Amino acid sequence: MSARQGSGILRLSHADVRVPDLELALAYYSEVVGLIITAHDGDRAYLKAWDEQQHHSLILTRAETYGLNSLAFKVPEVDELDRLSARIEATGIPVTRYQPGALGVASGATVRFLAPSGHTIDLEHGMLQVGNGLSLINPPPAPDNLVGMHPPRLDHIFLLCEDVDGITRFFQDTLEFRLTEQIVADDGHQLTTFLERTHTPHDIAFLTGPDGGFHHLAYWVDEWNDLRTAADTCAYHGVTIDAGPTRHGATRGCGLYFFDPAGNRNEVYTGGYQFDPDDEPTTWTEAEMGRAIFTYKGQVDQSFMTVHS
Amino acid sequence: MGILRLSHVDITVPDLELAAAYYTEVVGLDISERTEDRIFFKCWDERDHHCLAVRLDARVGIDRFAFKVEHADDLAAFETRVERAGAPVQRVAAGDEIGQGQSIRFATPSGHEMELVHDVVKVGGRLPLLNPPPIAHGLIGIAPPRIDHILVHAEEVPEAARFFQDVLDFRLTEQLLDGGGHQTIAFLERSAKPHDIAFVQGPNGALHHFSFWLDDWDHVRRAADILAYNGITIDVGPTRHGLTRGSTIYFFDPMGTRNEVFSGGYRPDPDFPTITWTDDRAGRAVFYYEGVLNQRFATVHT
Repeated sequence: MSARQGSGILRLSHADVRVPDLELALAYYSEVVGLIITAHDGDRAYLKAWDEQQHHSLILTRAETYGLNSLAFKVPEVDELDRLSARIEATGIPVTRYQPGALGVASGATVRFLAPSGHTIDLEHGMLQVGNGLSLINPPPAPDNLVGMHPPRLDHIFLLCEDVDGITRFFQDTLEFRLTEQIVADDGHQLTTFLERTHTPHDIAFLTGPDGGFHHLAYWVDEWNDLRTAADTCAYHGVTIDAGPTRHGATRGCGLYFFDPAGNRNEVYTGGYQFDPDDEPTTWTEAEMGRAIFTYKGQVDQSFMTVHS
Repeated sequence: MGILRLSHVDITVPDLELAAAYYTEVVGLDISERTEDRIFFKCWDERDHHCLAVRLDARVGIDRFAFKVEHADDLAAFETRVERAGAPVQRVAAGDEIGQGQSIRFATPSGHEMELVHDVVKVGGRLPLLNPPPIAHGLIGIAPPRIDHILVHAEEVPEAARFFQDVLDFRLTEQLLDGGGHQTIAFLERSAKPHDIAFVQGPNGALHHFSFWLDDWDHVRRAADILAYNGITIDVGPTRHGLTRGSTIYFFDPMGTRNEVFSGGYRPDPDFPTITWTDDRAGRAVFYYEGVLNQRFATVHT
């Protein structure tokens, strides 16, 4: 095939999130969200969504505060770690290499760097695969022992940083992401950007705010009905719903936002569209930002814009 | 890099006006171009020129199916690989086919004409690129947002699947093996979904169906209502597939070509392990609720 480049980054792999009370967080993520605990290693626990083949898509780390430790993207071809490292180092950002297992249970070969947005990002190849719990011979469409919202897989992550233009360019030029949508301020700078590697509306998005900020982690559900069930599940367990079920203008997806017991925002998300590499991005003006985030209300709640971790 | 997704299916119809009426008013596609003997259709959310082309012909059938490649130089790379695999490749120059630039065409081991194309005329979706609403107004019929996959027949499914895996870099997501371990159904993907193309044992060159995406099960039910309202023959469904886990309805266009609307499924990574179905569960593999194949589904094709 073409000698130009390999396949690069495939998709978001996992996030490492801080929680002060690990036992409480584990009860919430396993019973309310309905993730499966795959390992518990002292101050860290590892969870996956039921249909994921890989060992984990969420790491919970006991810490004094809440927030995001790191996020990781999956790189299917091991040689691509070298190529992507060279691209990152060429921008003046140092990278650190880790052998399989060095970054915790089941971790693969990893390249870690600090993005200009203040987030620690891992590019990982070869995380342990554990299967989705279904047989590979004559499987039913889903297991019958799922609890809570039980999303099938991780979808995207939404972060904050001061210079959205800068981080967006870094993701496009260095990490080979494609811009699908942007909210542009009246003075011309980017307030919010949506970037993808998976031909979906976003694998990662950036919103203007403090560097290193974490807005939310989103799991995929298959359809709108599942968002209603998720809202019922939140209400039943007394989990604070931040917004939704509602529709986003940007991405066209439907979502429900809520908080884990530590204060980290979660989302379950569905819908969207397919984006070809040769498609042009969609632009939202500052005046329409409310509708871009929440189509039905047409305005953004203060808590949505200001509360983050 | 490589093949991105299904681009378009080119079929033949004996009645252009009937095809135009059905595909715009029942299925709810838009016409992007029309000539004396061809009509080019697209779904409302597709930005490319067409996902379906119909050509006037006495016989109902399929001319070819086309996949879109990510980079322009993928065409030359595949030309070399396909010829090395023993299939002569025809280059179609820019300007020789409506709605797209240069392409390559060749015969697959299953006896279908396949096309690979990179430059497709961008006509845009129904939504603006500035402050768009999430839905398009004035949609009629089923109005799927995009095409999803195609299912064709092959006398030798293993040979057809191997060609797609080895020469075109497709990945095998699911397969059905008969009692002797012979592969009779193969599902293959390039776009991280259960299938972009599938092969089922049957006569070479035949089309079983092509399928449009719907966002959820509720839209599948609504599609059944629209089909019933318009007096369209529903073949099967709404139901669930074991293979792909998707939700579905099969139905026939008025000329006899089978269509499907499809929703659900899953998102396989390139290192996803292949799922295998055994012959004794073939009914459930195809129709999960019924557990049996109806004869029409197994035997009618175009």
